[in-house]
Amino acid sequence: MSGATASPFPLQNGGDPVLLPEHITELTGLGQFGLAGELLATFVAAFIVGNLILAMTGVAGPWAKRKITASFTDRIAVNHLGPGGIGIIIADSVRLLAKENIIPENVDRPAYDLAPIVIAGSAMLGFAVIPMGSGIHLADPEVGLAFVFAVAGIASIGLVMAGYASGNKYSLLGGLRAVAQNVAYEIPLVVTGMSVVLFAGSLQMSEIVAVQNETTLFTIPGLEWAVPAWFALVNPFAFVLFLIANFAEVGRNPFDMPEAPAELIAGYQTEYSSVYFVLVYLGEFLHIFLGGAIIATIFLGGPAGPGPDELGIFWFILKIWGVFFLTQWLRSAVPRVRIDQLIEIGWKGLLVLSFANLGLTAAIVGVIA
Amino acid sequence: MSTGTEPETEPEAELTEPGSETDEAALESLLGERAIARDDHLNAPGFVINPNDVQSVLSDLRDEAGYDHLSCVTAQQYEDRYESIYHMKKFADPTDEVSIVVPTTVDNPVSQSAEPVFRTADWHEREAYDLVGVEYEDHPDLRRILLPETWQGHPLSKDYDQEKPQLVTLTEHQNPIQPDHRDAESDTMFLNIGPHHPATHGVLHVKTVLDGETVADVEPDIGYLHRCEEQMCEQGTYRHQIMPYPDRWDYVSAGLLNEWAYARAIEDLADIEVPEYAQIIRTMGSELCRIASHMLALGTFALDVYGEFTATFMYTFRDREVIQDILEDLTGQRMMFNYFRVGGVAWDLPEPREEFFEQTREFLNELPTKVGEYNDLITGNEIFQTRCIDTGVLETEVAKDYGCTGPVARGSGVDYDLRRDDPYGYYEQLDWDVITRDGCDNYARVLCRMEEVEESAKIIEQCLDLLEDWPEDERDVQANVPRTLKPDAGTEIYRAVEGAKGELGIYIRSDGSDKPGRFKIRSPCFSNLQALEEMSEGEYIPDLIASLGSLDIVLGEVDR
Repeated sequence: MSGATASPFPLQNGGDPVLLPEHITELTGLGQFGLAGELLATFVAAFIVGNLILAMTGVAGPWAKRKITASFTDRIAVNHLGPGGIGIIIADSVRLLAKENIIPENVDRPAYDLAPIVIAGSAMLGFAVIPMGSGIHLADPEVGLAFVFAVAGIASIGLVMAGYASGNKYSLLGGLRAVAQNVAYEIPLVVTGMSVVLFAGSLQMSEIVAVQNETTLFTIPGLEWAVPAWFALVNPFAFVLFLIANFAEVGRNPFDMPEAPAELIAGYQTEYSSVYFVLVYLGEFLHIFLGGAIIATIFLGGPAGPGPDELGIFWFILKIWGVFFLTQWLRSAVPRVRIDQLIEIGWKGLLVLSFANLGLTAAIVGVIA
Repeated sequence: MSTGTEPETEPEAELTEPGSETDEAALESLLGERAIARDDHLNAPGFVINPNDVQSVLSDLRDEAGYDHLSCVTAQQYEDRYESIYHMKKFADPTDEVSIVVPTTVDNPVSQSAEPVFRTADWHEREAYDLVGVEYEDHPDLRRILLPETWQGHPLSKDYDQEKPQLVTLTEHQNPIQPDHRDAESDTMFLNIGPHHPATHGVLHVKTVLDGETVADVEPDIGYLHRCEEQMCEQGTYRHQIMPYPDRWDYVSAGLLNEWAYARAIEDLADIEVPEYAQIIRTMGSELCRIASHMLALGTFALDVYGEFTATFMYTFRDREVIQDILEDLTGQRMMFNYFRVGGVAWDLPEPREEFFEQTREFLNELPTKVGEYNDLITGNEIFQTRCIDTGVLETEVAKDYGCTGPVARGSGVDYDLRRDDPYGYYEQLDWDVITRDGCDNYARVLCRMEEVEESAKIIEQCLDLLEDWPEDERDVQANVPRTLKPDAGTEIYRAVEGAKGELGIYIRSDGSDKPGRFKIRSPCFSNLQALEEMSEGEYIPDLIASLGSLDIVLGEVDR
């Protein structure tokens, strides 16, 4: 792993620990046990990152989502358990886990059982390469960005599995829509991501973040605030494209066709109950957060923000929640498009625009270089 | 007609008006020898024809005489005969009515179907067959419509054993989710939408055949909420026992509008004049109900197009809540009002009156802001427009053919509103407009409802002004109505009002007792729902759902 040289926050630089497993190895002295020790340290690190993300979804799913939607729709939402109703998280967990897991007769097992794990797991995998600041960064492969897109794309298989194996026509329709939608939007998503790679000159996540924060776009006169060259500011067009494609990718309004509650009951998740439902639901939230994490990393300067580097994780989570908030806002305010319109927007609109963006970016980067 | 609008001047002339408006001589010459007798109803001249002449008579009436609205089909059994009545009107002038009475023998109750002439007769005749037992020759699909296929007998016929319980279990009856795979070889997929589905607005079962995402065939299956409302009304006395039932037809918020349908029919039947003051209260209450009902329609339509977390739905409910509070103050109830009485209303406005006026005016003052908010959220949204414009298209002529009324018809450019065209209550004296749009699509229907809300607000405003200035000693809320109402035996009347969803009509035949001999409800949702097939075939599933939402059906009124 090779890192950049000068950056506002720690990167692998000389012998200093950069990634979370390395920190843990150093702190606990596990390094003396050789490979076994490093492996253990990696597991501990993965455990920490996984729980951080799960805690976020835990807050988001049962509580924050309700509160946000309620404030959009003039309601109060949960307010009985604990301050601001935050205790509902515990109550909801108990409720969901205590429910009977109803498995319909003619489901196709084990695909039916595996689908929720694939949906939730694929999103979890993506967080492995995201630099979250404050030293929380599991791995930093050179193909970081490609890895994230690849594992996030696995979710489509999970959706098809869920849709097909449920033995329910609504699920099947939802699964079919999910595939059509993911195929149509994954390409613009990746192509727009590529334009960022052209700027950064690397697929490595830490490198992409570093490049954004190294350069100053301009300085606000009088205040002496240096505005960093975050790609959202450098190329707002790509940012908007990516944001839209991302909403389609995670299946949120105006692109929530795979579920389409009023039409397809709940799409591919119709037949899932209890723990399986929790997993599917969790998977959805994880994907929203992963989408937020990718956007934060490649467009919003990752964990960068005012204050010391130790605050990195705070800024990062704030950016992720900003994207989450946006999805909830759209959910409350924007109608969903029809499936044919969705495909049309994807193939005829976004795809063309994203390639135009890529070509333009390539030309500009070439000229500057 | 509208007794009580100008009660002092010419109540008698008004009662005989329908007969005089219709050109009976022309009708007689048009029908010629096909009219074998006369059987006049209070609202219209009635011609008795042979069961074999139904199609020729109805098509002549439509094409030659302009009776293009088959409002309702009533079937009933007498001791010696079955009788089907076709209540016909003109969309251009609903006061110009004619009833075609088709008697058939008890042994062989077969009559020609009107379906080839009017598409709307399809469901109406199926219902007549289902409940009364008249069979219609030439009908494309004469099956039971409200009751299960395996039901024994026809509940409204004379020889039906009312005491014998009939249990229809799922195994006996066709299981609604059973015919899952119909044709293994075909490229299409059969999909049951409902009876339990988030978008059916109640217990409606839509049998859908899909070709990919495209809807190839749609067949609504109704009757899950059939509660024998007609029969229950036949077992209640005119004076008090029927009025609570209408609240339960269109039960979501249109209670007073429904009550007025019965009130209007019985008041015309028993020749009762309603005090002007009571009519104003009725008008005001009904328009409040209309706003509440349209708010609900708007909200649930948004739910169908936006998804479950939409703000629009909650906003409409927030505003509807204010109306519910006003109505609660007025009637003492939030939904099942039971506020109208035969000859007036139950009681005067709540004391202190100033507070009631203030509360209602406050709502009216805020309404334009609210409507502006909806416009921002809904009609100003481009995605909403791409979803709604040119989807669920219901052409003007098709809408007429299916007997569509209310905002559904007005969104298709049919300029038909009974409040203006067949005035009752206090509407004639007030200044308001009928909203029509000729988009014929989902968007037009939604806009139509939103604009009607504003018109209703105008009406309420004027009613409030009138009520405020009304002299204190002239506040009669009820006419002097006999304790027992016994209209003359054999008197028949069909009267309709403009309900929230369209023309809500009541047919009553008096048998001389204090209970109706036959009580028939013409539900606007029932007729409107029939058009779903026409609107959604060849479109996508999301449009089918949106079209269903834009029809604004309430299953309590469809199934009765």
